[in-house]
Amino acid sequence: MDFSRVSISDDDRDFRDEVRTALRACVTDEVIRRDRETGENFDRGVHTALGEQGYLADDFNAEAGGGFTALRKRIWELEVGRAHTPWFHWGTTAMVARAVEQSASPELADEVLPGVLAGRTCLCLGFTEPEGGSDVATCKTRAVRDGDEWVINGSKMYTSNAHNSHYVYLITNTDPDAPKHESLTMFLVPLDTPGIEIQGIRTVDGDRTNIVYYSDVRIADKYRIGEVNRGWRVLRESLNAEHGTFERDKSGLQNLSSMAHHAMIMAEAVDNVAAIAGVAQPDGQRLLDDDSVKYRLGRCIAQTEAALSTAGMFGRVAIAQTMREVSPVLMDILGSASTLSVDTDGAADNGGAEYLFRLSGPTGIYGGTLEVFRNMIGQALGLGRPNYSPAKT
Amino acid sequence: MDRYELRRLDYSLSEDHIDVQSAYRQFFKTHCSIDVVRAAEASGFDKSLWERLCGTGASTMALPESAGGDGATLVDLTLVAEEIGRAIAPVPWIDHVCATRLLARLDALPSGSEHSGPLVSGELLACLDPRIGGAHGSRLLPSGSIADHIVIRDGDDVVRLTFDTRCSRVDNIGKLPMAWIDPATADSRTVLASGPDAAASYQRALDEWRLLTAAALVGLIEETLTIAAEFTKSRYTLGVPISTLQAISHPLANIAIIVQSGRNLVRRAAWFLDNEPEERPELAASAFVFMAEEAPAAAMTAMHVQGGLGVSVEAAGSAYLVRARGWPLAGGDPAASAKQIADIVAAREVHDGRGA
Repeated sequence: MDFSRVSISDDDRDFRDEVRTALRACVTDEVIRRDRETGENFDRGVHTALGEQGYLADDFNAEAGGGFTALRKRIWELEVGRAHTPWFHWGTTAMVARAVEQSASPELADEVLPGVLAGRTCLCLGFTEPEGGSDVATCKTRAVRDGDEWVINGSKMYTSNAHNSHYVYLITNTDPDAPKHESLTMFLVPLDTPGIEIQGIRTVDGDRTNIVYYSDVRIADKYRIGEVNRGWRVLRESLNAEHGTFERDKSGLQNLSSMAHHAMIMAEAVDNVAAIAGVAQPDGQRLLDDDSVKYRLGRCIAQTEAALSTAGMFGRVAIAQTMREVSPVLMDILGSASTLSVDTDGAADNGGAEYLFRLSGPTGIYGGTLEVFRNMIGQALGLGRPNYSPAKT
Repeated sequence: MDRYELRRLDYSLSEDHIDVQSAYRQFFKTHCSIDVVRAAEASGFDKSLWERLCGTGASTMALPESAGGDGATLVDLTLVAEEIGRAIAPVPWIDHVCATRLLARLDALPSGSEHSGPLVSGELLACLDPRIGGAHGSRLLPSGSIADHIVIRDGDDVVRLTFDTRCSRVDNIGKLPMAWIDPATADSRTVLASGPDAAASYQRALDEWRLLTAAALVGLIEETLTIAAEFTKSRYTLGVPISTLQAISHPLANIAIIVQSGRNLVRRAAWFLDNEPEERPELAASAFVFMAEEAPAAAMTAMHVQGGLGVSVEAAGSAYLVRARGWPLAGGDPAASAKQIADIVAAREVHDGRGA
């Protein structure tokens, strides 16, 4: 058990300063403003700049392969968070790149990975379907073999950043008659292939995601990842990474759970409200002088610290659920001006609590809904899988 | 506070921690069945269990070596408290260790004095008033009916009271050895300390009491979850175990999340009190506020999924429920702790210039 400040060498301190300088140079106010407007959580200029400086390759590669040490990786993550860098989709690109590295043909890996590490190429996920929701194995998008090619038809929801990406990591159904976990095949589909249509969708937190339609999309067999009908096995590893359910080591230098970045946004919002409540208003009173404010704020802090402490799949639920419970209370404390969003005249905390409230919705959905995780926890408790299929006669 | 500060986030237990945890889990498993718990309900105290527990060094470990103790860390103590909660053991260990640690901080446990040795070893029992504020008049103390030395705040003073005859127990939902204590009727009253330092020392005892009570509630809730999970796996409806129904499994999953959240927050709070007490003084109260609210709700859910059998007084689930409610409430309204948290954090964030 250890929560101490990490003492770092001069070299690592220099590294941290370099990272800070690099981020300051590219994550400008203009970038932040544009990101809010577009909701993309992505900025081509930032991505390219950091790729060119080698940070993406260092983040992706193992230490033995010339990548960051565990300590530098942690410094990198913290500084990216501190700068509020639009960065959400690098995690997705890296996750797909990992699958490519592990399971794609060497030819495809050579086509894709250098561009990814240099910051030129972005990858996205085609998992969820309009009718499938969180059960990614319920896949209706079909891939049919035609000689050396495959023909894909179907549609996928929540393919975030597709419009800035070059390939989509797609789950397809290649054997509709097989049990669902033996019917899937994974592809890395170039997004400039004819027959692909990307439509933007905005979500309540201001983010942009996409629905992507695939009509007679024809790709070469080299874009297949893993064996035919064995996609679930390939996918499982990516899902474990997305779910944050891997074992943590004892270095204390890893995020405790997925959505840890969201937890930090919540913690910052709570700290901001505490600061506002502690300062005298024009009438000389502090919000904190009202005991009802003091009690509610203290309770929000306790709940937030509990969520920040929670690991793995438990943490994923705790963070989203706590955000949903805490954010409306923070808004109440700030009063009517908390209904104003960022950059609006007189917005309380410049819209911080208001944004947190809207963010709490999607946070419980993307990356696997809270129900998916509660099912996983139930199984870990030995409660058995939910089974609502009709009784066999 | 800089949320992006480079600190380790390592919640893992060392081998020594695991040894402490296993030893006390085994101790209570062997010596504190639910029948033992039930048998002690009339008094709220099992003297022979207490003597056995102190025989393992559970009282001595909590005190610094300078006071004749073994100098365990608060992290170690949270591991013991969690096992006490898991067994809902009728022993006043949390009250006693918080009170004796307070006495040690106030130099009121000098070696060689008549009472020191027996207090350190647990032959004499000490308790304190775990409430925040309200330092006047008669008060309801969780271990008031069995304590030999009672440490309270009385106005600006921290005083030690003794009574020639023990105060009589009042039955209570938490099945604690509670009694009303009126300082005015004590047979001896010794002022141990006064002023701001005394108040700070007492506040530290209140933090420790909240931390260890939160730890006990974590163990308590985990056990209610285990009991409920086992039950639901063996009850069937429409041909399936009810545990597979999401109306059952998801509320139980939520309890598992509370256990994980509360446990890690308790340990982080304890680590900071042990190592950097000025840095995160709000965490112990945070763990308490979180668990004081979540534990009774979780215990209610755990009882609920067992239906009519769960609510019977013979069911273990109901025994856990009443303690989940009564134990934290012995410290008064948890809102007092929530307000302390807000004061601490607001002062820190204003000082750091956030929101300016």
